[in-house]
Order: sequence, then C-alpha cells, then structure tokens
Amino acid sequence: MALPSAQAALPSIDKYRSQVLSHPLARGISPDEVRDHLASVPRERYPSVAYAGHGPGPCIQPRGGFPLFEDQYQLTRQLDGAGADFIPLTIDSYTRQNQYETATKLLHRSEEEEKNYLNGYPLISHGYELTRQLYCGLKKPVSLRHGTPDARLLAEVAMASGIAEIEGGAICYCLPYSEGFPLDRSLLYWQYVDRVCAVNSTEDLPIHRESFGPLTATLVPPALVIAVEIIEALLAAEQGVQSFAVSFGQTGSIIQDVATAAVLRKLARWYLDDLGFGAVQTYLVYHQWMGQFPMERERASALISGSAIVSSMIEADKVVVKTVDEALGLPRAEMNAEACDTVQYVLRTFRAAGTVTSPMIEREATLIESETKSILNAVFDMSGTAFWESVCRAFRLGYLDIPFAPHADNSNKLLSVRDGNGSIRIAVAGNVPISAQDAYLERELLKSRDDRTDKTYRQILTDIRVMV
Amino acid sequence: MSAYCGRVVIGVIGDDIHIVGNRIMQLALEESGFQVFNLRARNRPEEFCQAALEVNADAVFVSSLNGEGEHWCADIRSLFREAGLEHVLLYVGGNIVVGERPKDEVVKRFKQFGFDRVYHLEPDIGVAIADLQEDLKHGVAQRTGCTPEYR
Repeated sequence: MALPSAQAALPSIDKYRSQVLSHPLARGISPDEVRDHLASVPRERYPSVAYAGHGPGPCIQPRGGFPLFEDQYQLTRQLDGAGADFIPLTIDSYTRQNQYETATKLLHRSEEEEKNYLNGYPLISHGYELTRQLYCGLKKPVSLRHGTPDARLLAEVAMASGIAEIEGGAICYCLPYSEGFPLDRSLLYWQYVDRVCAVNSTEDLPIHRESFGPLTATLVPPALVIAVEIIEALLAAEQGVQSFAVSFGQTGSIIQDVATAAVLRKLARWYLDDLGFGAVQTYLVYHQWMGQFPMERERASALISGSAIVSSMIEADKVVVKTVDEALGLPRAEMNAEACDTVQYVLRTFRAAGTVTSPMIEREATLIESETKSILNAVFDMSGTAFWESVCRAFRLGYLDIPFAPHADNSNKLLSVRDGNGSIRIAVAGNVPISAQDAYLERELLKSRDDRTDKTYRQILTDIRVMV
Repeated sequence: MSAYCGRVVIGVIGDDIHIVGNRIMQLALEESGFQVFNLRARNRPEEFCQAALEVNADAVFVSSLNGEGEHWCADIRSLFREAGLEHVLLYVGGNIVVGERPKDEVVKRFKQFGFDRVYHLEPDIGVAIADLQEDLKHGVAQRTGCTPEYR
C-alpha cells in the first residue's frame, strides 16, 4: 500500500533544476532571479489573489494562443479589455511535444511570411525575457494551457515569464494527448513541475496548479474524471503545491453536472484533508462543452449561454469559455473577446440561486461518490512503495480507463453511453473496480434510453454528436 | 475455429492520431460478429501487412482522417502480394485525401492502388460492414479483385 505522502517530494531539486536549465533555450534562467521576478509582479497576477478578490459568480477565462509576439500581445490586451478574469497562453503543438527546433523554424517562417504556421504561442522559442513584456502592467493571472507530458522546461520558462498558473498533470496531459509517451515518465516529469511550482511559491503567493478534467471530452464517466482529478491534486500536494484547481468538462446533462461538481468539490477536500494536505487550497473549474460543437452560430451561442448558466448553478470558481466559431477551427481574437462578453452578460443576468438539488441530483451524486471511492481505494490498496507507481499500474490494469484515449497504456475496456436524460452511464465497466451494486444501477438507469435496442456503436455516434 | 464470422485488422495509417472513429469501428465490427485486431493510431503500411499475416486476417480496414491516406496507400497492395496475402480484402475509409475532390475520382484512385472497397467521407461504418459480410459470403479466395492482376 502506497498512500500519497509529503515524503515523496523530490529531493535535491536544485541540482535537478540546474540540469533542466542548462538547455540553451532556457537562455540562462536563474532560479533566484525568477523568484525575485515572481515577487515583483502585481499580486493580482496570482490566481489565489484573483479568486479571493472576485465577486459572486465564476471567473471567466477565454482561450487563445498565436505564434507571433505582436498578435499575442494584442490578444492579451483585447481579452483584458473584454472582461476576461484570467488570460490564457495556449502553446503550439510542436512545443508541446518538445520539438523546439521545429517550433522555432515555423515561428521564423510565420514572422517572415506574416502567416501563422503554428497553432499556439511557442513559449520556449520566444523565451522568458520577451514573454515578460507580454504582461507588462497586466493585473490578472495568466494561465499556461498546453498538453505536454514533459513540461519541465516549459513550466520553468513560464514561471520565469511571470506566469503563476500552470495547467496540466501527468495523466490529463498524457493519456488524452499522446499515443506513446510513457506514462511513468510523464508522472516523474510532472513531479518536477509540481516541485518547482512549490519552490517558486511563497506562503502568501503560491504558484497555482490546475488539472484538466475534460480528458478526452468523449463520454468520460464522472467517477473517472473525479478519480483522475483527485489523484493529480494528491500528486501535486506530495510535491508541496499549495493552491490547486480541479476541473471537469460539461457532461451534457445538468443533473450530472450539478452532481459531479458537488462530489468533486467534496471528495477533493476530503482526500486532501485525510491524507495530511489540509493546507492545500482547492478551487473548482468548469469547462464549457468540449465535444463536437454545432456549426450554426446561433446554436453555438445558445450552447455557450446555457453552459454559462450551469457554471453559475454549480458555483464554479472559474469557467473556461468557448466561442461561436468553435466548429470552424481556431477562433480569431475578436471571437474570444465576444465570448467573454456573452458569458459575462449571462452570469450577471442569471446569478446563482444557492446550492441546487433534487432527488435525481442526489441519487446521481450518491452513485458517483460511491464509484469514485471504489476506484480510489483500489489505487491506494495496490502494493508498492510510491503512489505514482500505483497510479501507473492502475492504468495498465485498467482500474483507470479513459474512453477514447489514444494512449497505448489505456485499456479501452470500459464502454459508456448516455441515458434518457443525457447523463453518461457505464454500460460495461471493464476492469474499473466499481461495486456490483453500482454497476447494476448504471445499467438500470440506461433503460431510460429510447434507442437502447439499436447497435451500441450507433448509440455512441448519437451521443458524441449530442450537441451538434 | 471460433464462432467469429471473420478476422479483421483495423488501424489508422500515417501520423494521424484520430482515434474516436477507430474505436467505434472496432465496436461496430465486434457487434457484427467479427474478431477485431486493432492497431490503433500511427501505422505504416508494413504494420498492416505484418498484422494480417500474423492473425490470418480475412480483411484489413485502413483508416485516415487527416488525408494522409493517399500518400501511404499507393503501394500497400504490392506489400500484401509479396507477403502472399493476395486473398486478403483491403478496405480504406475516412477522409482519405487532402482537400475537396470528387468522390468518384477518389474511389477510382484508391481502387487503382488495389483496394477492394473505398469509403470516402462515408458517415456510417454500417455500410462497409454489410459489404464485408457480402464479400466474405463466398469465401475470400473466390473474391473478384478490382484490379486486373487479381481477377
């Protein structure tokens, strides 16, 4: 049995950091100078300060990353002006895969031809000195959004640039994003990221970590999302992270969204407290629909507004917003600014009515909580000496199984479809260790589905396109 | 012999990592009684050929969603021939070429590559499964190939 423990914190991180920072693209980052810089940025750049100072309703975070410095600078100002509470910095996919040379080459080509050859901001190619200038005078937190299994250098450059929120995690940035990056290496590399976040933190101003709960955003049952979120919170806490946001993506059912939020919030707190990490601050982040979006702008806008209301109902601390152009490819800066305005309008107009509940929500929450505990207990109960090893093995054994993850270590035995009210149900649990009683209940609830006699693959196709 | 009605190798060709359709295809084929050997994402033509040989496949379904198919599929039939797998049915589907091109032209091109059936932008895998059941009815050895050398 290997429970999460503060003893797992990486020893001699200074020596390890000097190895990572010897990379030429680190451009001579000095840990002491980074700490000084982080102490010199406005306090409002820290998520804990931004969350504490925000009035009622969720903070708003749009999306966006452009290859050219000038475009990213304009986007940042535009989003700031449009009422975003958090400013995104989305990284291009070559940098995410540690292909810095290709990213740099395509950045130069983008600069020469004034055309974008990258789908995000190549942070490592631009470097921390230039990137600091992106945020001169900005009094909002910047969130690093990427999808990188080995984010050691990227996180260093981000923090050196004055960025105090690092999204991701060993599971959520490996399983859904990579086919072959070894999960054990991802776990070890994210220990580094978490540890450096911890050593760059002060008691007042912690560097904030956020997990990416939507995972593949394709019919992932809430219990698996919550289990992964709590595991990543615990892995971060082991390394000394003091401020952490768990998150999930809109499920497609209001009942399930409300129940998921309640269980995620409650169990994240409970496990952190129980395992000796009571000092870690937690927050809840809600992602607007991450699946296939409608092509029609009117429908896309309705979906964005509707899910903004849900974010308010579940009292999320932050909502990550989509744009009406979602189905059409990378959105322009104006679209992201417009999305901030729409969501802000909806949040102002439809304020939270306190905790929402109903017998159906209660039943859903009870089921999700029971399943999550079964899964986490099975992970904790594995033999071994390190929690991260148990997590790795849990995937190989299929205790943790993320539908539609491309990763070779994902077992793909779990099968999920929606029930009559749109909630995601576990039709076949595979090796995921939920109780027989919960598995039975899941199947019973599936009977509310109209087309249940149809072939399963047809039902899944319908379910994936549910919002289109 | 097993109770399966046929053995099918499936997978995505090239550096394409679109996996949702691949997973659904596996489910659909299994539901129709086929034994599926899923190579998942990022495969080269050789890998389809090796897998077909290893599992004694009746058919191979090659998928591509980002249009890389045209580049990778040109010589796949000759690989199968060299491995003594002329009898194996070759199907291709997805979004198999880059850009918008007439469907007839795309089908013709892939048939020239030696594919038995071509599904370009076909929304439902059910069509291909029905065709496969039909093609296997008389046993794979007697199938009439689409290119002259297999007739």
